[in-house]
Amino acid sequence: MKKLLFAYIVLIGLFVLYVYQYQTSETTNNEWSEHELRGTIDETYVMVTFQTGIDYWKRPLKGFEDAAEALNVSVEYRGATQYDVNEEITVLEQVIAKNPSGIAVSTMDPEALNPVINKAVDSGIPVVMFDADAPNSKAYAFLGTNNHYAGVTAAHKMAELLNESGKVGVVTHPNQLNHQERTQGFRETIENEYPDMTVVDVKDGRGDQMISKEVSEELMREYPDIQGIFASEANGGVGVGKAVLDQQKKGDLHIISFDTDKGTLDMIDEGVISATLAQGTLEMGYWSLQFLFHLQHNLAGDLEGETNLPRYVDTGITVVTKDDVSDYYPLD
Amino acid sequence: MKRWTQINNMPIRYKLISHFLLISILPIFCLALLISWTVERVMEEQVNDNTLQLIDKVNESFEFYISNLQSYTYMIANNEDVEQFLGGNENNPSALSDNKYDIQRYLRNFTTVSPEVAGIMVVNNEGDYVSNELYAPSIMDLTEASWYQEAIENNGIFKIIGRPDGRRLNSIVDYTNDDVVTVVRAVIDPFTEQVHGVVLIDLKLRVIAETVKDVTLGKSGYLMVLDDDGQNIYQPNQPIVSQIPFKWISEQQSGDFSKTIKGEKIQFIYQRSPFANWVTVGVFPAEETIFGLREINFYLVMFIFIIMFFGIPVSYFLSHSISKPIVQLVSFMKKVEGGDFKVRYKEKRFDEIGLLGRSFNTMLTKLNDLMHLTERQERQKRDAEFRSLQANINPHFLYNTLDTIQWMARKQKADDVAEVVESLAKLFRIGLSKGRDVISLSEEIDHIESYLKIQKTRYREKLNYEIKVDESIKNKAILKFILQPIIENAIYHGIKERRGVGHINIEANPLNQHILIQISDDGKGMTPQQLSDMREALEESVNLTENPEETRNKKGYGMLNVQARIQLTHGSNYGMTIDSYENVGTTVKILLPNMNKSDEEREK
Repeated sequence: MKKLLFAYIVLIGLFVLYVYQYQTSETTNNEWSEHELRGTIDETYVMVTFQTGIDYWKRPLKGFEDAAEALNVSVEYRGATQYDVNEEITVLEQVIAKNPSGIAVSTMDPEALNPVINKAVDSGIPVVMFDADAPNSKAYAFLGTNNHYAGVTAAHKMAELLNESGKVGVVTHPNQLNHQERTQGFRETIENEYPDMTVVDVKDGRGDQMISKEVSEELMREYPDIQGIFASEANGGVGVGKAVLDQQKKGDLHIISFDTDKGTLDMIDEGVISATLAQGTLEMGYWSLQFLFHLQHNLAGDLEGETNLPRYVDTGITVVTKDDVSDYYPLD
Repeated sequence: MKRWTQINNMPIRYKLISHFLLISILPIFCLALLISWTVERVMEEQVNDNTLQLIDKVNESFEFYISNLQSYTYMIANNEDVEQFLGGNENNPSALSDNKYDIQRYLRNFTTVSPEVAGIMVVNNEGDYVSNELYAPSIMDLTEASWYQEAIENNGIFKIIGRPDGRRLNSIVDYTNDDVVTVVRAVIDPFTEQVHGVVLIDLKLRVIAETVKDVTLGKSGYLMVLDDDGQNIYQPNQPIVSQIPFKWISEQQSGDFSKTIKGEKIQFIYQRSPFANWVTVGVFPAEETIFGLREINFYLVMFIFIIMFFGIPVSYFLSHSISKPIVQLVSFMKKVEGGDFKVRYKEKRFDEIGLLGRSFNTMLTKLNDLMHLTERQERQKRDAEFRSLQANINPHFLYNTLDTIQWMARKQKADDVAEVVESLAKLFRIGLSKGRDVISLSEEIDHIESYLKIQKTRYREKLNYEIKVDESIKNKAILKFILQPIIENAIYHGIKERRGVGHINIEANPLNQHILIQISDDGKGMTPQQLSDMREALEESVNLTENPEETRNKKGYGMLNVQARIQLTHGSNYGMTIDSYENVGTTVKILLPNMNKSDEEREK
């Protein structure tokens, strides 16, 4: 009986030792990755925009991709190929149907997308807005430029360029909230702070280079003494620049553009465009994904109530002129 | 042989335990090993197959991306605006600018439908270029660039440049050279074979990385992609092997090999994608090959433990249940050997051991009875001896005195007195017979003759007797004093009770190997009741004479004593039988063994 007991104790001892060894080797391997801010490659975050081909989105997308690389998740880029709100709604519906881990949306209409955005949020997909907000939707956050402030900045820069007097025009995209805000900011500042300056007209460039060129030519015809044009988006800026070049008015007309696409930068370099407003577009994409990741992984508090994330993040604005344009060309 | 005998010498318990353990646990061990081994082999094969399939899928998506890019290069090259640009005939700057703008718009379509494209560039043979995303430093002549040359060398065939290091192109969107895979194709005039320019497309490496990362092999295994020069196109951040020497990978389409790196065996499985000519390699530690095997092994070990948990006590108790009663029986035997006959096997079981135990008990009971019998016989013998010894002391004196009387009677011519006295003396002399139990038949006959002579003096003519002894058995040895009590009975209960002259006949004859002595009288005889009582008493003679004090004075004690003595000495086959008819007479037959004196001596 003693021998049996002994054999049993040895047996149980071995057994416990084995199980212990098995358990510990099981856990040690996993330990480090559990405490890391890392997702899995199965998680797909989608960026939805409109006019998907334009260069403007390439930087937010790059930011989005960089964040995905850092967090080890997948990203997808979708959107309306045209400037078509219905197409964007359709695309967003398609994206929601695939039940992604999060969606970053830039809307061309502050209201039109609300039902779809709300639908996504209600079905548990985190949504953040970037670049252009839909303020009445259930989206958790908006990351973008303070457009009103951008307009104000543009106005100050314009005033500085024109010595605070003269007629200025605006080429913009009147359906889009961000452009409306920019225009509004610009206009209010000129009207309120610079009594010698007037905003003669606001034209619709529809975000297209050629149309912007046409409307700016129109503007120049209507107001031959116009001294400055503020283009609230990049294609418009290049279009206006081309019109100025065509009219041989280089140097007579100051153009303040928006964003830092290559065409704009080139024109600044050439002196056609006097200044442009650089947005933190890369940051928009980067932090959009970070926000979505935090929401998806419940790191941002209660999704039903108030989250810990700021509802609005200003990604900043910088005035770029010929002096510092080389900084915006990436290094070799 | 010696070993076997050693096994034979082992206690039965150990033999049984080792037997049970051998039968229960050894096969389990073998089975577990077999399962583990088989599962490992099968799973390894499966893992390799699966990995190869995964790699195949990954390669397929590469093919898809790359062939898309190839199509794009054709679509771009065939675009009218691009053709015009590549022709390089436009000298009007404004027209050139419009042309470039149209191309840019056209190129934008590709990034619209394919987000995986990081940049597209069209370069004509003068080094002028159009692109939405890429630009070259102005000092650089793009026709001198290595990728341009490679594209031309490939003569209009699509060419993949894995990681375009040092290509001196910048991306407006900050895609570095490490972020992209570049494909180039020279646009060549089909007739003049003149190079018009090159179309370059950057594919985001992320797309490949995502496809590859989607595949995890085991716990720390991963996929990596090499281009056709063995340069890494993609590998994860913390690779097991930073650079796989290209010579490890043979020219074959696919295969697997393993290398020991930093003391760990690493398994490599690779497959080439035929179109891109990339090699996708699955790298994982061989130990992890079969992640599930660990679990299977765990369950197997658990199983073995459980079997042991049950098997050891079961074999222990089973062997115990067999060996314990045997050991017990052995200890009983030892006790019995030591003289303790009171032990009994008490367990109630009905197997062979129970049977053995019961037989053991029966044997003990019989042995015990036998021992009792022997003991009693010894005691009775001693008793009888003691008594006869005691009885013999006085006869000595009596015998001498009788001798004196005989001589005196002869002197005084009283011959009849002298004769009686002589008979009496003889009677006593034989009675003493030096204390022996056994005397010769002739001596016994002398003894009863003396006795009869004395009785005849008393009963005169009423008692007649006749003795016939076969010559051949005169010297045979018989128990002493077996005839006298019978003759005494015949005289007192037979002849004396009858009227007139009585006869006693004594005959001794050999019968087969025995001696038959027959004493018959024509006295009063016994009633049937008396006879059956007597016979019954003779049957039980041994028991009835056990306590002599109680029975000594009873009627027929002498007869019973004789019967008891004969049966105790010679066994129950011998002894006397009695026949009697009322008023006719009684015959007593005594059957005795035919023993020589020497036999008797030897028996003692």
